[in-house]
Amino acid sequence: MANRIVVKNLEAGYGSVQVLHGVSVEVNDGETVVLLGTNGNGKSTLIKCIMGILPHTGGELYLEIDGERVDLAGKAPEEIVNLGVALVPEGRRLFPMLTVEENLLLGAYRPDARKDIDRNLAFCFEAFPILEERKHQLAGSMSGGEQQMLAVARALMSAPRILLVDEPSVGLAPIFVSRVIQKIQELKEKYNLTVLMAEQNFNQAVKIADRGYIIVHGQIEFEGKDTDELRENEMVKKFYLGV
Amino acid sequence: MFSFELFINALVAGLLLGGFYAAFSLGLSLSFGLLDVVNIAHPAFIIFGSYLTFYVNENFGVDPILAGLLFAVPFYFLGVAVYRIYYNVFEKTGAESLRGLVFFFGIFFLIEVLLIITFGVDYRLVRAPYIGKTFHIGSLGVAWRLFVPFLVGTALTIGLYQFLSKTFFGKAVMGVAQDSLAVRLMGADPIRIKTIAFGIGIATATLAGSLLIIIGPVEPAIGREYIGRVFAITVLGGLGSMSGVFLAALIIGVAESFTASFIGPSWALAVSFGILLICLAVRPAGLFGR
Repeated sequence: MANRIVVKNLEAGYGSVQVLHGVSVEVNDGETVVLLGTNGNGKSTLIKCIMGILPHTGGELYLEIDGERVDLAGKAPEEIVNLGVALVPEGRRLFPMLTVEENLLLGAYRPDARKDIDRNLAFCFEAFPILEERKHQLAGSMSGGEQQMLAVARALMSAPRILLVDEPSVGLAPIFVSRVIQKIQELKEKYNLTVLMAEQNFNQAVKIADRGYIIVHGQIEFEGKDTDELRENEMVKKFYLGV
Repeated sequence: MFSFELFINALVAGLLLGGFYAAFSLGLSLSFGLLDVVNIAHPAFIIFGSYLTFYVNENFGVDPILAGLLFAVPFYFLGVAVYRIYYNVFEKTGAESLRGLVFFFGIFFLIEVLLIITFGVDYRLVRAPYIGKTFHIGSLGVAWRLFVPFLVGTALTIGLYQFLSKTFFGKAVMGVAQDSLAVRLMGADPIRIKTIAFGIGIATATLAGSLLIIIGPVEPAIGREYIGRVFAITVLGGLGSMSGVFLAALIIGVAESFTASFIGPSWALAVSFGILLICLAVRPAGLFGR
């Protein structure tokens, strides 16, 4: 059954400042789509709109969950999470004073996730052995890379069908970025997830992306049907590859 | 002056008193420690609970503990209502830090004045078969009026601890003040979580109120004697840690009991704050904080 994200001509902003000017993005079932853009171009704003954190002011925004269309306008973040959407947020947003294990268990808060909690927890520990070693440690006391892994694992605990990842590479050493990106790919395959990832690190993102969009000043400037098209795009060469 | 028997008696009395202090402080640790709501009116809700217990005990002969349990239900809804007002008027607009504090101070005095108007300023007490009786273990005498509150306080600690650590809802309560958006991203509504948790905190107040009036007679302004102590215990225990509150309450109870026995009762509260100050200097997260 298909799980998709459909964004059509979306407009949104903060107060009187409009950030998104008619953005259209589609993520089809089982795809990993990357949303490329440097800081301040609207990547996170789009993610926030999809999660219901920020209301959109125009356009259309809906999901298809198991083939069924669900309009997201006016829905609160917790309602959207309960549809089977998980976000690995920018800055990770862990509960720093809770242990690794408590963070993971909170990830399975939504009723649909609770029945598979043992299986998912075992899988998270298998995918990220460091989390099992540190399960009684406070999340806030771990390194940035470990925290990012925890953030990904916590999102997985909610047994999502759609996974949104907002800038997983920020603040991480390159070795950790590779590892986190690789894990997202593995998990995606294992759970047959539909993934939308906002990222500014082109080289890392294309490792796992099927295709992507480039967002500039709140508009989609380029849509690459595959990673080769993205790589050959002039903007990517200029901004991301330094060619 | 110093005798072993006096020492043991003071120790036991202190531990028992500590169990009661725990019941007194748990609700505040929940709201102040976990929800970041500085409910300075908590002792007033407790005194309110004492008077309700007194009322049904005096008029209908209801057992004080039973009364505390029964009133826990309406107190829960009272807590829900108070938090709703607090949230809508202060927290939502980010004005909670100072004006919110004034709000709870206002509730504190409002309850006190209402109690004075309704019941007068005289001391009130309750009757129950176990009040006034003592049982003996060797030469050690244990007053039931202290032992019963200790048991109830212990049970309350265990109950809240289990609730917070073993349920999904409890974990969300522990996380909600750390990052309310992250709680939403887990699929939970932080306002609902805070409302229910605050309601539970106030529900414990009526039980603590029953214990207070079992231990001794109560007058409307007696909450003032407890407000400093209860904050000291909450902070000493490590904000939001139920087991920490219990142990801190025992420490304060024993310290006060020893002070009262060997130095003089008027020093008791000074010793509580002395312990708190030393603790804050050495370990700011509290003795059992994370």
